[in-house]
Amino acid sequence: MDLTINGVPHQLEIEPETPLLWALRDDLAMTGTKYGCGLAQCGACTVLVNGQAVRSCVTPIERVAGASVLTIEAIEQDDLGKRVVSAWVKHQVPQCGYCQSGQVMAAVSLLKQVPHPTDDDINAAMLNLCRCGTYNAIRAAIHDLASSPENKGA
Amino acid sequence: MNNRLKKALTVLAPTAVVLTAGVTWFVSRTPASHFDSVISPDLSPALVSRGEYISRLSDCVACHSVPDGAAYTGGLKMVTPMGAIFATNITPDQTTGIGTYTLADFDRAIRAGVAKDGRRLYPAMPYPSYAKLSNEDVRALYAYFMKGVPAVHRENKKSTIPWPLNMRWPLSFWNELFVPAGQYVQDAARDKQWNRGAYLVETAGHCGACHTPRSLAFNEKGMNSHNSQFLSGALIDHWFAPSLRNDPNTGLGRWNEQDIFDFLKTGRNSHAVVFGSMTEAFNNSTQFFSDADLKAVAHYLKSLQRNASHTVQPWQYVPTTAEALEPNQRKTPSGAQTYMAKCSFCHGTDGRGQSVWIPPLAGAASSLTADTSSQINITLNGSGRVVANGMPDAYRMPSYRSQLSDQQAADVLTFIRSSWGNRKTVISPNDVKNIRKRTTPAQIFPVILKTE
Amino acid sequence: MSRGPFENIAETVQEPVNLSRRGFMRASSGAAAGAFILGFGLPTRRARADDTKSPKFRGTQVPAFLEIRPDNTVLLQSPFIEGGQGTFTAMAQIVGEELDADPETFIVENAPAGDEYTVMDSGMRITGGSMSVRDGYAPMRRLGALARAMLLQAGAQQMGVSVTELTTQPGYVVHTGSGRTVRYGDLAHVAMDLPIPDPAIVTLKDPSQFRWIGQPVQRLDIYEKSTGKAEYTIDMRVEGMLHAAVQHAPRLGMTIASIRNEEQVLNMRGIHSVHHLPGAVAVVAERWWHAKQGAEALLVNWAEATLGTAETMRVMPSDFSSESYKTHLATASGKIDDAETKGDTEQALQKAHTVLEATYSSQYVNHAQLEPPSALARYNADGTLDIWLPNQAPDMFRADMAKRTGLDVEKITIHSPLLGGFFGRHFLYDQANPYPQAILLAKATGRPIKLIWSREEEFLRDALRPLAVVKFRGGLDTNGYPVALEAISATEGPTEGLGPKRGKDLDPSALEGLTGKAYDIPNRRISQRYIQSPTALGYWRSVGNSMNDFLYETFLDELADKGGKDPYELRRHLLRGNKRLTTLLQAVVDLSGGWKRGPFTAADGSRRARGIGMASPFGSEAAAIAEVSIEQGQVRVHEIWEALDPGSIVNPAIVEAQINGAVALGLSQVLLEEAVYENGMPRARNYDGYPILTLDHMPRVHVKIVESGEKMGGVGEPPLPAIPPAVANAVSTLVGRRIRSMPLSRHNFQS
Ligand code: FES
Ligand code: FES
Repeated sequence: MDLTINGVPHQLEIEPETPLLWALRDDLAMTGTKYGCGLAQCGACTVLVNGQAVRSCVTPIERVAGASVLTIEAIEQDDLGKRVVSAWVKHQVPQCGYCQSGQVMAAVSLLKQVPHPTDDDINAAMLNLCRCGTYNAIRAAIHDLASSPENKGA
Repeated sequence: MNNRLKKALTVLAPTAVVLTAGVTWFVSRTPASHFDSVISPDLSPALVSRGEYISRLSDCVACHSVPDGAAYTGGLKMVTPMGAIFATNITPDQTTGIGTYTLADFDRAIRAGVAKDGRRLYPAMPYPSYAKLSNEDVRALYAYFMKGVPAVHRENKKSTIPWPLNMRWPLSFWNELFVPAGQYVQDAARDKQWNRGAYLVETAGHCGACHTPRSLAFNEKGMNSHNSQFLSGALIDHWFAPSLRNDPNTGLGRWNEQDIFDFLKTGRNSHAVVFGSMTEAFNNSTQFFSDADLKAVAHYLKSLQRNASHTVQPWQYVPTTAEALEPNQRKTPSGAQTYMAKCSFCHGTDGRGQSVWIPPLAGAASSLTADTSSQINITLNGSGRVVANGMPDAYRMPSYRSQLSDQQAADVLTFIRSSWGNRKTVISPNDVKNIRKRTTPAQIFPVILKTE
Repeated sequence: MSRGPFENIAETVQEPVNLSRRGFMRASSGAAAGAFILGFGLPTRRARADDTKSPKFRGTQVPAFLEIRPDNTVLLQSPFIEGGQGTFTAMAQIVGEELDADPETFIVENAPAGDEYTVMDSGMRITGGSMSVRDGYAPMRRLGALARAMLLQAGAQQMGVSVTELTTQPGYVVHTGSGRTVRYGDLAHVAMDLPIPDPAIVTLKDPSQFRWIGQPVQRLDIYEKSTGKAEYTIDMRVEGMLHAAVQHAPRLGMTIASIRNEEQVLNMRGIHSVHHLPGAVAVVAERWWHAKQGAEALLVNWAEATLGTAETMRVMPSDFSSESYKTHLATASGKIDDAETKGDTEQALQKAHTVLEATYSSQYVNHAQLEPPSALARYNADGTLDIWLPNQAPDMFRADMAKRTGLDVEKITIHSPLLGGFFGRHFLYDQANPYPQAILLAKATGRPIKLIWSREEEFLRDALRPLAVVKFRGGLDTNGYPVALEAISATEGPTEGLGPKRGKDLDPSALEGLTGKAYDIPNRRISQRYIQSPTALGYWRSVGNSMNDFLYETFLDELADKGGKDPYELRRHLLRGNKRLTTLLQAVVDLSGGWKRGPFTAADGSRRARGIGMASPFGSEAAAIAEVSIEQGQVRVHEIWEALDPGSIVNPAIVEAQINGAVALGLSQVLLEEAVYENGMPRARNYDGYPILTLDHMPRVHVKIVESGEKMGGVGEPPLPAIPPAVANAVSTLVGRRIRSMPLSRHNFQS
């Protein structure tokens, strides 16, 4: 199976239905993408495939062969990703942090599609669970990014 | 007692006695068996192993086992409108099982629906289908149940059907009307593979038990390929078993023989993944069919004519829905946001699923069939595990009953049913409410028969 | 944080510039593992003999806690684990304040097991009970001050001047006369070998001089947590490691009778081995995905618990259901133990003008922390054991491991990575932690094993927050004021629920929140009717208060209604003379723009109401107001105002974040959560069946921190308990009927 993760090609000997999440974590030792539920319920495993937020625990790797996968490890190589990270730092978003890789990916995906999201847009797109309850900080960080002058979307 | 009544009784009584005697004889008679004269039946290992295969074809374990019980010890609760009945212990245990059955007794139970003690079995036991089993297969099944299945002592549970509905004798009339007599007869006009397929589907596989609609008397409306109602789709246990005829949208019209083969062998193909009651049939039965038998099944099913009443435009994919799911669009069509939040990660914003691993909703029979039970049911309760070749599925459908209100579930399903070229049929909150009340979440750890 | 320091430590190991580390051997694991990402190495040597801990002054072994590196960064071994609550940052602030080093220059790790890191007055080392800052505050300040004194001493030696001529600037020793400076990093190798000054005479800063304590200092772990670099146990990896997954018996107490397809599973792709464990089967593989599939594929015949099993562990009967258990609690008779009494409640009730009786209940809830449990165990060639696991009490866990393995505690090195969610999940629960299994598997395979419990297994084995049914009786005088209150709680407390049997004393965590209320009700009786729950029980954020304040505060509103009193006015009345709580209550009311119970119509046209809840948990005081409406039959919470008085605080930004988090969890509980058991098994095995609060249901949260100057209390848990009753009281006002149980999603409020 040929995969391109963060611009780097990888070849994996692995069954085609293996969830992308476990290929990342166990085969490629990229553990920034988290396992929370394995059932598309929490979003901790969110990565971007062709710019779209995807839950890697329910993405068979054969579906991303040939696609461009961006994980949290390379998020700062993406312009918008870098700005999202600084907003996360500025608003001191994470608590335990376990959900935050996924939250950052989801926020990047949202802002790529909707550069100036309203509260409703944020509600509609930020679907990942956070047991620590960082939701208001997430909302504040996204609003802040949306109103920042360099934000033109992508 | 007034006089008139007395007179009437005098006239009627003798007639009643005669009638009653006749009826009593009829309802309690022991039907003849082909094997009545067999004294020492063949129980050779070869026949036992043949019998195990027939039991797979017939999926005996489906009803005669429960998750925490040993195989074939019964206990499965089947709810009928009249009350619950429980499948019985069919291990060769002498007291609680069928250890004392002769081959002829066994035959009567399988093909005529009459237990050793003369009791009529409820037609939850698919003997109307099994009636056409070949003598050879009955012999093999018997050998397997006597020698291949370990005897386990487990008391049978009494049905909760109250008197007088619990009286079994009226079933004999039912049997007379609805149970075909005699073994399967080859259709000379068809080839061997077709005939094998017909035997598997109509008889051992008893596919009609779920997929054929039933009439008011609970009999299947058709028992073979000659009847257009046969396998035309039916509601059972709050699942709609879809048409297996060639209807392009609601049946197998868009599937080829290889698709059918894959579905029954691996539990999945690019059109669908088994779910609902079919999960059990797949887990314990169809995947164990030999390749030749599965090909015969596929060949036979593709020969069934589509239903005239279902002649509609074949479904075609319409790609516009994706736009409705854009972040700032998806608040308007109700259900779109829920689709995005709960469904899209697996089934895709394009509704096409993930190759064979997660089924499409676009063009799926469950999206196009008029009956909406299956979609509601799986949305509320999720799927049981599909275990192919011993391996549980990598992806399963979650249960959304705790997350979606009746209204939200209705909205998202209506959205699905109106997207990607699906046929705009509406699901109401009441439909959801009804099924919610009557169902429970799917067991995520399956019952799998594994005999050492 | 884990990765950064490890890289740096590896360098210092090769080039031991810091003499203080001479005796602190690094565990060999670090260097050997090459490209693998590792938990950092840990000091194994005990503190020097002459530094034996004095019960009066704990945590004074400066070199055990602090390493000041040549680049002037400070590596602090924290006695408290970081699980999102901001402890590492708070510790850096407190130590940094007295050390005179910018918290920003700190790298904080969870300290290894060992007496020298026991700083709490209780003599235990636990991160929990919202105690880290309040118990760590004094010793950590002292630690910083001691270290600063040692650096000054070293500076005097190096500069050849008297120590009295020296002072410090953040990170530097400064000679006031000449203006000469020396970096801490250049003094540390001398300083850390100096004798530790007498902790009794070391001087601490005057709080008015605080530079960092009390400031919203940025958290140290944010960047790494925002970029996926932070590492949790589940991310650990060592050379030669195999992955493991388990399938547990469906009910506690059951054992393996047989496996029907062991051979078949052994032959599946990627499978290394299949193992029989107590109450579980395990599959080991090169990849966790394969291990998990193998574990799920195993067809196990489970045998019922044998007679006598209940002596050593909890046994779950096959017919247990949480719903009928609730009925059982409501109807049970039997002994009642008083936990708190005042006056003569029985008599007061008899004489009361009006008596109100009502039965209230709480529900079982799951921790549902986002990181599924895991443990990595490695036996080393010399017979020692290294183990990585999320835990909130390393010494207790190590002692348990010693017991299980027969190894001497000295031979066990416990590594405590960050916790992917705290909430009380990482305590020593007999059946609810994966490390005993990981150890057995590492032993059996001779390879390091990382065991991860799938989310499904976690929901099966999680230790639950208890369920309680409380019968209240309240007596009102002719004016409608409460004169008597009785609460009899049929429940088992979480501490009672840890083992197979009840301890001798009452479990205070069963009733806290019914007990300890500040209201001036002259006659009261708070009691427990102990009834064992067959489920495993555990601590859940704010423990007994998480449910008991809901039960008490909603009943109090019911009493207010009965007596014709406004619930806010009634609380004011019952708190009259209590300056601290009157101030707090006023603070939250002011924060919300003045008390307005409703129902009223909001600007958007929705009908809304507000409710109040108060609580006195974990040494702090909390008061909250919630504003709610009904949307499609379900409760929508729009605003939460909360005032919290923890006495005094270290970091207002972290406190505010903790309040937000506690609000979210409190709302999640009152609105949505319930662990339902049927046929002895949990109905939900993943988040699909156990919904928790999502972003679109998070209200605006307005926070007021009140520093009364009272004894420092906790922060992580205290903001939670006032939330559920505030919401339920608002809903009761809005819908016109009392709410007596959670979660509210069980009700349809469609009018
Ligand atoms: S781990 Fe993928 S959504 Fe939870
Ligand atoms: S920060 Fe802990 S789960 Fe989100």
